[in-house]
Amino acid sequence: MSTESIQTLVTGNGDARRTLVVVFLRGAADGLSLVPPVADDDYHRARPSMRISAQAALPLDGFFGLHPLMRALLPLYKEGLMAIVHAAGSEDTTRSHFEAQDFMEHGGLAAGGWLGRFLRYGGSPSAISALGAITLGPKLPESLRGAPAATAIQSLDQYSLGTDAEQLTQQLRRLYALQRGEIAAAGRETLNALGRLQALRSSTYTPANGAQYGEDTFSQRLRMLARLIKARVGLEAASIDLDGWDSHFTQATLLEPLMQQLAGGLGAFCRDLGPGGIATTSVVVMTEFGRRVAENSSFGTDHGRGSVMFLLGGGVRGGRIVGKWPGLASSSLEGPGDLAVAHNYRDVLAPVLRRHGAAGEHLRVIFPDYELREMDV
Amino acid sequence: MKPGNAQPRGADAPGTLTRRAFIRTGAGAAAAISAFGATGCEEKLAKIPGYRPPLRESGAAGALPSLDGSPHPSPPVPSGALPDILTHTVNRLSYGLRPGEYARLLQPGRSPGEAAQAYINAQLAPEGVDDAALEAEVRRLEVLAEPLAELFEYKEAYLLRQMTKATLLRAVYSRHQLKEVMVQFWSDHFNIDSSKGECRWLKAADEREVIRPHALGQFPTMLRASALSPAMLWYLDGRVNRTASPAERPNENYARELLELHTLGVHGGYTQQDVMEVARCLSGWTVRDRYQLRKGVVEFHADQHDDGAKTVLGKPIPAGLGKADLDRVLEIVALHPSTAQHLARKLCRRFIADGPPAEAVDAVAKQYLASRGDIRATLRALFDCPAFADPQFRAGRFRRPFEFIVAALRATDADCRPGEEIAAYLTSMGHAPYQYPTPEGYTLSPGPWMATLMWRWNFAIALSANKIEGTRIDLDRLRTQAGGDTGLMAEALGRTPTSDERDAFAQSGNGLALLLASPAFQYC
Repeated sequence: MSTESIQTLVTGNGDARRTLVVVFLRGAADGLSLVPPVADDDYHRARPSMRISAQAALPLDGFFGLHPLMRALLPLYKEGLMAIVHAAGSEDTTRSHFEAQDFMEHGGLAAGGWLGRFLRYGGSPSAISALGAITLGPKLPESLRGAPAATAIQSLDQYSLGTDAEQLTQQLRRLYALQRGEIAAAGRETLNALGRLQALRSSTYTPANGAQYGEDTFSQRLRMLARLIKARVGLEAASIDLDGWDSHFTQATLLEPLMQQLAGGLGAFCRDLGPGGIATTSVVVMTEFGRRVAENSSFGTDHGRGSVMFLLGGGVRGGRIVGKWPGLASSSLEGPGDLAVAHNYRDVLAPVLRRHGAAGEHLRVIFPDYELREMDV
Repeated sequence: MKPGNAQPRGADAPGTLTRRAFIRTGAGAAAAISAFGATGCEEKLAKIPGYRPPLRESGAAGALPSLDGSPHPSPPVPSGALPDILTHTVNRLSYGLRPGEYARLLQPGRSPGEAAQAYINAQLAPEGVDDAALEAEVRRLEVLAEPLAELFEYKEAYLLRQMTKATLLRAVYSRHQLKEVMVQFWSDHFNIDSSKGECRWLKAADEREVIRPHALGQFPTMLRASALSPAMLWYLDGRVNRTASPAERPNENYARELLELHTLGVHGGYTQQDVMEVARCLSGWTVRDRYQLRKGVVEFHADQHDDGAKTVLGKPIPAGLGKADLDRVLEIVALHPSTAQHLARKLCRRFIADGPPAEAVDAVAKQYLASRGDIRATLRALFDCPAFADPQFRAGRFRRPFEFIVAALRATDADCRPGEEIAAYLTSMGHAPYQYPTPEGYTLSPGPWMATLMWRWNFAIALSANKIEGTRIDLDRLRTQAGGDTGLMAEALGRTPTSDERDAFAQSGNGLALLLASPAFQYC
């Protein structure tokens, strides 16, 4: 490997490197609440008490609306930075959170997670970074399994040699500078990356463009992520969970704060990154499955099939709801009365991964045993 | 735990302590014993429920007698600008030299070369070396000894954690170091990612029944065990390779990797036709899944086997052999000259250099064939190659992240019950055991590992400050035993430290961390 490639390897080339952010809504988010098909009469019939009326919803394309509490995403949609795929999901029909998450994150019956395989084979395999992949939170998700470098981070302090390591750092710089070839470059670039992280930690952070993050954990994690992306430390993928979508009972009280966090957090994140930053950052929002079309007797919904995915930034052809709508007529429903999965999540992810450097041969490794029909997103 | 905080606090109220506190207590108490040589209190400690004596590679700690408190003479430590043949041999055959090990191996009257030969002999005959302390510790991870079907009763994450612990414990403490090195070598060679399907449970059995028993045994035997390993049948889809009707085409996944990775090598002279023929030969073998009775059991279904005649690498396999097709195929490939070359080259890359001389590869391949795949004989030939001792390759092998972590624990004589924290470092560096997704296993090439320096430095700092849970070192004892800082550095680096290194050590404010984080310690 040449010295040049080592440099990109350790620091990340801030100009070329793109960051993929995967937001996983754990617990099976109700796509019919996030993006209600307000022009579909079957929707209103199935959800008499919790439906969003056409007047209340934020208009998207005339047929679908956005939940009013997700208003923070509306400008992104209008500016063409966000696309929505409805009736999306996987072929796993267990309706079990664990099984469906596991299946989706592994990409079927496969070794490693889809994001891990992407990073190892499809991203920039010649440019592995020590900070290549992170999860903001306590535990790495299955999707990152098998990644060449993946770290669960909860604080920027983890990216440091400690508070009193100045002399040590200086002496490391000295010894690595005496080396030749790969190891010298790797040492130098690691020290430089640490320097940038140090600067990041010691400065107070003011989000750009007037972006305002909420105090909730999800928004604060996005805030930290935006800082890392701007520091150009070689971040290729980040995963963030937003938990708590399993709304069997009094759905509205459960989902309302979550929708506000999701939209508010992502809205602030995109604003903070600005046009330049968001162009090289893709955000994918996904969930393991959706919920039963008909509401249950406790103002909740049970486990279903199709849900919704959001794609932001990174060159997405946004301002659109992509794909076909299978409808909510009883003849179109799956199993016990669930929105059908018209769009396999892999077909949604594949074009995003292409924009992050994966070619066709990589996609076959990232999504094995599956014939891709990539969507136009 | 902070240094100096090493009283066995648990002795007062053992009944109220958590298990973790017991372990900490054990580690703290252990340090107290080591530091003060107070053997009398060991008996007392042994009565505390949950107390475990510090783990040491028995006989290897190299504690020098300090009988009357007078300064004792400095022990012999590695010297010279390059590692000598003894240091080199130990560092290549093991996970790293331990404090005092050099002095112990270099018994009076022995030259470094003689001591190196004795070390090779002992490592190639591990049955003669007692490893009871380590084995007792590993037995505490009881799940790993569960019969195959019982493994399914455990949560897969728990099983993986226990496997990782055992792997680290063995690498750090086993006196059968070469065996452990070879276990990892073959575990990479016959890579199985424990996250695929039922490999989550079955990989534990594969490691125990396929890799470990044959790591220094006969390659053809290991190959057969691997071919019929339930985990491998899952991982490379052998379990769904069936041809019950003429319309069903065999699944070629395992057949291809058998030829490309496990035996002949990608340029080993086989064709796509050979892959298809091997897949036909192996059709019908499957494994019962976890929802069936006798879960995990491997079976041959004659009705799903293609029993026609086949030709593999030009050798005919007549129709009607049924399950014996498998043995015919393995006979053809296991001792094929391409297999010898492929394995010899990999072994030379592991033990000599990333680009090993062709003469060395040829000599090792020759012995592989002459010994009919005897791994010890093959390794012996490798260690006898002039290239193995060639000074130009000394200290030139970049340690993979796992090797770095273990070498650091060994060099500091750490008392270590590896837990989640060490596993997280390995994950951050992309080298967590049993988690490589594709069949070629973790790479032997240094390049992809270069980007892991930051985590290595972090680990060095955390270890030197005793900030890693379940792990404890005693710097004062290390320094005393090595006869001072220069001795400490010489043992860790396997040579005399340079003046820059000595100076950097002194000025760093944290010499031990600097030593472990230094460029030289990343190599062996």
